[in-house]
Amino acid sequence: MEKQQPSLPQGTLDMLILKALSLGEMHGFGVGQRIQQLAEDMLTVEEGTLYPALYRIEQRGWIKSEWGASENNRRARFYRLTPAGRKQLKTEETDWDYLSVAIAKVMRST
Amino acid sequence: MRWFGALLTRVRASWRGERIYDEINEEMQFHIEMRTQENIRRGLQADDARMAAARSFGQVQRIAEMGYGVRGGGWLEALLQEMRVAARSLMRAKGLAITVVVTLALGIGANAAIFSVVRGVLLRPLANRGENRLLYIRQSAPGINTENTTFSVAEIKDLKSRATTIGEFGDFSSIAETLLDVGEPRLVHAGVVGGAFFEVMGLRPVLGRLLNSSDDGPKAMGAVVLTHRFWTNVYNSDPNVVGKPIRLRSRVSTIVGVLEPSVPYPANTDIIANMVTSPHHMSATMQDDRTHRMTELFGLLKPNVSLEAARSELTSAFAAMVQEHPEAYALRANHQLNVKPLRDQITAPARTILLVLLAAAGIVFVIACSNVANLILARSVRRESELAVRAALGAGHGALRRTLLAESLVLCGAGAILGVALARPFLSVVVSYAARFSVRALDVTVDSTIVWVGAILAMAAAVLLAYVPRLPSANAANGFGLTSGSVRITSGTNRRLRVFATTQIAFSFVLLAAAGMLVAALIALQATNAGFDTRQVLALNLPLVPDRNPDAKGPQKDLYQELMQRVAELPGVDRVVGGTFVPWRDNGTSTRYQFSVDGYTPAAGEDNPYARRRYVGPGFFATLAIPVIAGREFTEDDRHRSERIVVVSQSLAQMFFPNGDALNRRLWFTGGLTDYNVKPDPYRIVGIASDMNDESVVRTPAMMVYSPLRSTGERLFVRTSGDPYALVQSVTRVIRELLPNQVVERAATLEDIRAEVLTPERLNAFVVTGFAGIALLIAVVGVSGVLAFSVTARTREFGVRLAVGSTPRHLLMQVLLEGASIVAVGIGIGVAGGYALSTVAARYFNNVGFPGTFPILAAAIILGVAAVIASLMPAVRAARVDVLQALRSE
Repeated sequence: MEKQQPSLPQGTLDMLILKALSLGEMHGFGVGQRIQQLAEDMLTVEEGTLYPALYRIEQRGWIKSEWGASENNRRARFYRLTPAGRKQLKTEETDWDYLSVAIAKVMRST
Repeated sequence: MRWFGALLTRVRASWRGERIYDEINEEMQFHIEMRTQENIRRGLQADDARMAAARSFGQVQRIAEMGYGVRGGGWLEALLQEMRVAARSLMRAKGLAITVVVTLALGIGANAAIFSVVRGVLLRPLANRGENRLLYIRQSAPGINTENTTFSVAEIKDLKSRATTIGEFGDFSSIAETLLDVGEPRLVHAGVVGGAFFEVMGLRPVLGRLLNSSDDGPKAMGAVVLTHRFWTNVYNSDPNVVGKPIRLRSRVSTIVGVLEPSVPYPANTDIIANMVTSPHHMSATMQDDRTHRMTELFGLLKPNVSLEAARSELTSAFAAMVQEHPEAYALRANHQLNVKPLRDQITAPARTILLVLLAAAGIVFVIACSNVANLILARSVRRESELAVRAALGAGHGALRRTLLAESLVLCGAGAILGVALARPFLSVVVSYAARFSVRALDVTVDSTIVWVGAILAMAAAVLLAYVPRLPSANAANGFGLTSGSVRITSGTNRRLRVFATTQIAFSFVLLAAAGMLVAALIALQATNAGFDTRQVLALNLPLVPDRNPDAKGPQKDLYQELMQRVAELPGVDRVVGGTFVPWRDNGTSTRYQFSVDGYTPAAGEDNPYARRRYVGPGFFATLAIPVIAGREFTEDDRHRSERIVVVSQSLAQMFFPNGDALNRRLWFTGGLTDYNVKPDPYRIVGIASDMNDESVVRTPAMMVYSPLRSTGERLFVRTSGDPYALVQSVTRVIRELLPNQVVERAATLEDIRAEVLTPERLNAFVVTGFAGIALLIAVVGVSGVLAFSVTARTREFGVRLAVGSTPRHLLMQVLLEGASIVAVGIGIGVAGGYALSTVAARYFNNVGFPGTFPILAAAIILGVAAVIASLMPAVRAARVDVLQALRSE
């Protein structure tokens, strides 16, 4: 049995998806893989949360989706960042940097 | 605008639903495929790889659902789905569904029909261009009891020369003519107008042209415009009618055009003609006599002039004119000018009655809704266990509400469709009814108003109904049983049911009492003795009958005598007499005259009294069976007698000659608004006739002065012992033998004329009783439903009570009592509410009365009886509860 990974803090999955997509358009499976790679396998994204999150973000207008051909030439739905999404990512990155430093300061204090 | 986009997605999604699902599923399949391949790469067997991929993915269906919700499927589509389910489940509860749909349909139909009429009559602008600048001008003389009078040509000239706020005046007077071109000779009502009339009224022709200033003056050619209705009905919409000659009596004019459909105002005439078509209009009397008032006056405000400015200018112009002509305007008469927008004038008479109808319809809708709410509530209580199970399985409040909303939408939608269908026949009834109060109602047609009113009401009802029942919460202590399949009724639900039932009773009571009041008034009117024979006397109109036979050759015989002789010789005719006024039917055509008698001086500050003046032929009193109390009746000799004589009514004689010595005393007329008819010479009283009131169906003492008819008279009264209507043909025939072009019309017995006059009262009573009947029906269903439900819910309780020795009779009485108590409370609230309502209404409307004791008692008794009948079925069911069955049901 694998060790249970800690769950992502609320709202961070959206940011990770945006980040993953900022490297280029990708299908849902690829987004999950990309995040896992970037986290050097420290994170796995569950399908059960990935797709609802994708749909939610699309509804907000941060990403757009259309059907295309995958690397193995199958029909797949590709997602890509919209300008609004890029802007959102920037805000979230700034916020995240600020928060992680702040939280680290609190948690490491002796 | 983001919400709008989201809404759009949702709406689109509702018919794209299937596709969204497919796309999501395809995406998931792709994901699983990719995972499988990766697993294979890691060295798993193909089958295991697929299984592992599927396992790690989890519940595809659940994710798909979530994604679907986010991507805008969801609500609306689910609602449609729920509605399909609801329709199916309602098919199983047919009785309930039909009751609800019919109840709602009645409420919606009545409201849609009446609102259509209200909109058409009160809210819709007139067809006239510039209708908000169109003024209606009248004068009144309160000092001599003269309201709302027309103008003379001289007065109009004066006003025209002084007014600067009015761009143009239009004048209109009506006159009767005989039309000889189309079929039988017929009476047509003609409007006679100046050239500016149509421009002022802002009306257009549908064919040819209307009249203009070139048609004015004595040298113009006779020109006639047909009204749209007349063109349609009499000329069968002949497209080539323009240019045709039209023969009115002996003069020939030309039809120049057809008027667009519009409110026939000021009079419902058939044609509108220029001045030269009417010799009377060209006469000196018409042109110069300042008191010869027969012309209606309209004004078109100049642009950007306020009504107030025009009113004050016209009023002062009028006052100046009155001062300059003291000979025509008695000081005490207190002549005044009234200026108001034409639209107000046209709609005013219908306003009250329509608003009352709207209120009645509103009440019916409230009753219908509360009844339906009751039924739905009862049904949802029966479904509580179903809802509780769904709540326990995780259905959110939204989903449960949606189920309820879907059901009420299906019910209300069906109700609205049926209601709109019902509204059409309702509308034609209401239109023919409202047309008695405002000509505008005739133009009301079935239009989209009905549909959208129906839809709005249905939506309102649906939303209301969906929020009536309480939802089960996950909290089981709430009184909802998951375990038992039987119905448990909470006291809260029970209270709500009773509140709705009581509401229905209270509102029904108000309507019933109102209906009772109208019916009681109608019965009282119908039972009134007119004071003369109404059943065996036939009245006919001989409009424009000449005094002398125009076609007779040689020495002229007396036309009146000749006519009467011919009619009297007909078999079945007992008596025949000419006159000028058909009781009730000719109301509004006579003026009252001030008079005085020997030895009478009015008390200080009082005026001379007024009397009605009637010209009647010899034998009039015998023909109508009006008893002559003293003196004598008119004879043939009186028609030619140079002495001026009168017969007076009993109440006049008693008031001025209390000693009973009225005979042979003198009476003379002292003047009134139409002075030109009044001569100061005295009349000798030769007879006293019993009282009758020919202007009001209510028999009140009336001051009447009868004079002998010297000319032919345009009214004919025929008395027979047989069937009066059997005489119509032969009477018409003998008149035509003498006067081939004579119009003979409107033959009716006086009894039928009275019935006709009572039509508005009867219609009022009929319509309100109809509403009350609908309300009563719904309320009975409501009470019965509540009790039936309460009995079902307490089956077990009744079983136990029977088991421990209660008699069925006892249970029966108890349920009946329960019904009676609902009704008693409802009536109490109804009395209080009705009283408050009438007090409030009295502030805004005239003639609001609170019904007497009788209608209230009658309404209460009817409701009480209805309640007992309504309770009977559930009560019998309670008494017949099978003990074993009831106890086992738990």
